[in-house]
Amino acid sequence: MNLLKLDNVGRRFGALQALKGISLSVEKGELRAIIGPNGAGKTTLFNLISGFFPPTDGSITFDGQPIVSVSPNALVKRGIIRTFQITQVFLSLSVYENLRVAVETAMGLQLSPWISRAKRAEVEAKVEELAQITRIAPKMNRIVGEMSHGDQRVVEVGIALSRHPKLLLLDEPTAGMGDEETNHMTDLIRWLNKEQGITILFVEHDMAIVFGIADKITVLDNGTMLAEGTAAEISENPRVQSAYLGNALEENAA
Amino acid sequence: MSSSIETKPQAARHASTNGRVAASVIIWVALLFVPFWLPMVGGYTDLASRALIYAIAASGLNLVLGYTGGLSFGHAAYFGLGAYGAGLCLIYIAPSLPLAILAGTVLGGIAGILVGPMAMKRKGIYFAMITIAFGQMFYFIAVRWNGLTGGEDGLTGFSRVPLHIGAQTIPLGADRFYYVVLALFAVVMAVIWQILRSPLGHSFVAVRENTTRLRFLGVAVDKQIWVAFAISTFITALAGALNAMLTGFASPDDLGWQLSGSFVVICVLGGMRSFWGPFLGAIIYIVAQDYLSSITQNWMSFIGLIFVLAVLFFPQGLLGFIKARTRS
Amino acid sequence: MEALLLYSAFNGLIVGIFYALMALGLSLILGLNGVINFAHGTFMALGGYVAFTIEPYVGFWGSLVVAPLLCVILGVAVERILIRPLYGRDPLFSLLLTFGLAMIMEDLIRTIWGSIGQPFALPNYLNTPLSNSLFFLTGYRVVLILITALVTGALFAVLRFSRIGIRIRAGNADLETISAMGVNIFFLRAANFGIGIFLAGVAGILAAGQLGLSPSIGSQLIMPSFVAIIVGGVGSLLGSVLGGLIIGIASGITAAFFPVAQEVVIYVIMAVVLVARPRGLFGQEGLFE
Repeated sequence: MNLLKLDNVGRRFGALQALKGISLSVEKGELRAIIGPNGAGKTTLFNLISGFFPPTDGSITFDGQPIVSVSPNALVKRGIIRTFQITQVFLSLSVYENLRVAVETAMGLQLSPWISRAKRAEVEAKVEELAQITRIAPKMNRIVGEMSHGDQRVVEVGIALSRHPKLLLLDEPTAGMGDEETNHMTDLIRWLNKEQGITILFVEHDMAIVFGIADKITVLDNGTMLAEGTAAEISENPRVQSAYLGNALEENAA
Repeated sequence: MSSSIETKPQAARHASTNGRVAASVIIWVALLFVPFWLPMVGGYTDLASRALIYAIAASGLNLVLGYTGGLSFGHAAYFGLGAYGAGLCLIYIAPSLPLAILAGTVLGGIAGILVGPMAMKRKGIYFAMITIAFGQMFYFIAVRWNGLTGGEDGLTGFSRVPLHIGAQTIPLGADRFYYVVLALFAVVMAVIWQILRSPLGHSFVAVRENTTRLRFLGVAVDKQIWVAFAISTFITALAGALNAMLTGFASPDDLGWQLSGSFVVICVLGGMRSFWGPFLGAIIYIVAQDYLSSITQNWMSFIGLIFVLAVLFFPQGLLGFIKARTRS
Repeated sequence: MEALLLYSAFNGLIVGIFYALMALGLSLILGLNGVINFAHGTFMALGGYVAFTIEPYVGFWGSLVVAPLLCVILGVAVERILIRPLYGRDPLFSLLLTFGLAMIMEDLIRTIWGSIGQPFALPNYLNTPLSNSLFFLTGYRVVLILITALVTGALFAVLRFSRIGIRIRAGNADLETISAMGVNIFFLRAANFGIGIFLAGVAGILAAGQLGLSPSIGSQLIMPSFVAIIVGGVGSLLGSVLGGLIIGIASGITAAFFPVAQEVVIYVIMAVVLVARPRGLFGQEGLFE
């Protein structure tokens, strides 16, 4: 059963056609990578799915419901949560405070001027749980703005998980990370997908990760869909090889 | 807070908490005995009342400015409406001090509730511009609605009426009125304290830090800003009502842009990120203003100079400065 | 009735011209410098007062050239010394600084020139009405409109065709990129600030001739200029000009029929625009935000 379905979706900015004729369907429980060179339209695709702006053509359905021109906060309530290419966290707050405000808003408490003991305990427990899952617990009292880029990205994922996503959109989750941080993030993504059953769409430039963990890969080029398939299918696809992978693989080899 | 997630050494945590508690106790005790010690150091009780009133106004503003990150540069409008509301209530409705204070607070707060959504149509620097402009609108209403407001001369013809509790009539001299102000100041600080440690307050800070993240957590950011703005204007209006009771007068200057700017500079001087910041800023500002206006005709220039110097050399404010010093 | 309407609308247009000139300068500075120059009004007042002082020596036309340039010199000094350190910081600080500056300048003007209003002498030939039927059309008002049209036209030409103008517009769109391309953005911002102050200075002298001088004339005229920017549309220079004229005319007409609301109407228009068309009458969606 598919969770997300895009039908002939396009987005135009004035004269620029950023995306055109994108049709794809993501199954429940799938771990899908979106790859493509810079400017291929990967982030634009995320922006369309998460409601940052509506598509100019085509339709998007999520969980069987059309979601075109549904506001971002309504989409969050339906279960679509995203992270951003430029990490979006609460920089001058501690990790604990970041997770706490995420948990509290996920519980719908953002307008409560007080909180009961029981609710507070519930918040604390969930914050603790998120910190354990993401393995950020030892750094709970650090100010996020003073942490490494990789840690900030982990915090962002933790924040996103507070909303119990059905569909998690990760925009370049490992960009700018060192090896250890990358492994940690890759493990986390796989764990969330396999153990928690969260459907995940991620944009990634590191081909080792993409081919290592993705169930299926969608290749974008120049705003159109070049190919779609399993890792094996994609790596053997001659169009992908000539247009994109060839270069990327050469870069990786070098 | 559950202790399992605290990684900071407990001893250090306790030390800083103890320090903060000690500071609070010292502040409250000092405030409680102001009528006794202030005259000894050359002050007068009304000056302390004024400082507390400005502290209330600025603490209210700081909920928007420091915690939610909204550049409201028109908060004098709500201060002034509080003053006019209180005065008009005494003249036209009933000679009751609590009722007058309530009327002023509600008038200013309702104005804030109405202005908020319009000002929020624009963000950042343009929000500042719109709040300034709306402030000016209330200024002109006060100046032009002569029959009701006394126009440019301000609203007079009311005075601080005695407080009636049961059959008792308590006349309010300077000292007793100071304690009325102090009691309300305590209530306001308690309310702000409670808000800041609640999910509502946490969400305000999150708005300041990152609206994109918050929106993509499913929060209607505009509603949070609106609530912050509304609470903030109620508090500032309360201060305005108290100020009218202090001076027996509501002036168009209570709504003017200079006062709006002064509230902002009070927050900056004391420290916008600190609970006690606006309070400290208010003391510095009121003492400086009192002193400057007694020695020079050009005290406006000096107040303006305080603005410039605060921005250039002291942007984190006194408490921000102290915090940075103690942390390193 | 019709004559009154025409007369009051024209009166309003004249005041609207001052709003427009002020809003234009404010908009320029807002766009490239990212600063709400709250002291813009006092720079304008300063222009008027300086012209008042030097007019006996250089005449009206001479003061119209010299006074704005003196304002520009002061303005650029202020930009270099006080505002430059604040670029890239929370806009709260630049606004607060210019607030303080406005207080200082207004107080100094009051100290130097006195708190009582001063009449600004105009050449006699400008003060006589041009015709009997259109009695409100004095030579000065025609000159005022012509000068404003000339200055505004020149500004738009500079922005469109000159190298610095093209850079200012490009900087408005993306300051980082033009900085990376090797444009000296510090010079550019100073120049832009200077142009904005020049417009304020011109407005100050023209307003002095029409409205007379008082120390608070600056803070009186700057508030409607904010409204002009919001009403006209943030980010649109032409919008700021038209916004200024529109609220000026609306205020003028209201002054004739319901005088107590002549100022308040300006803010009511702003409220209506914010509710009905938040981006302003001529603004583009999403620009500068």
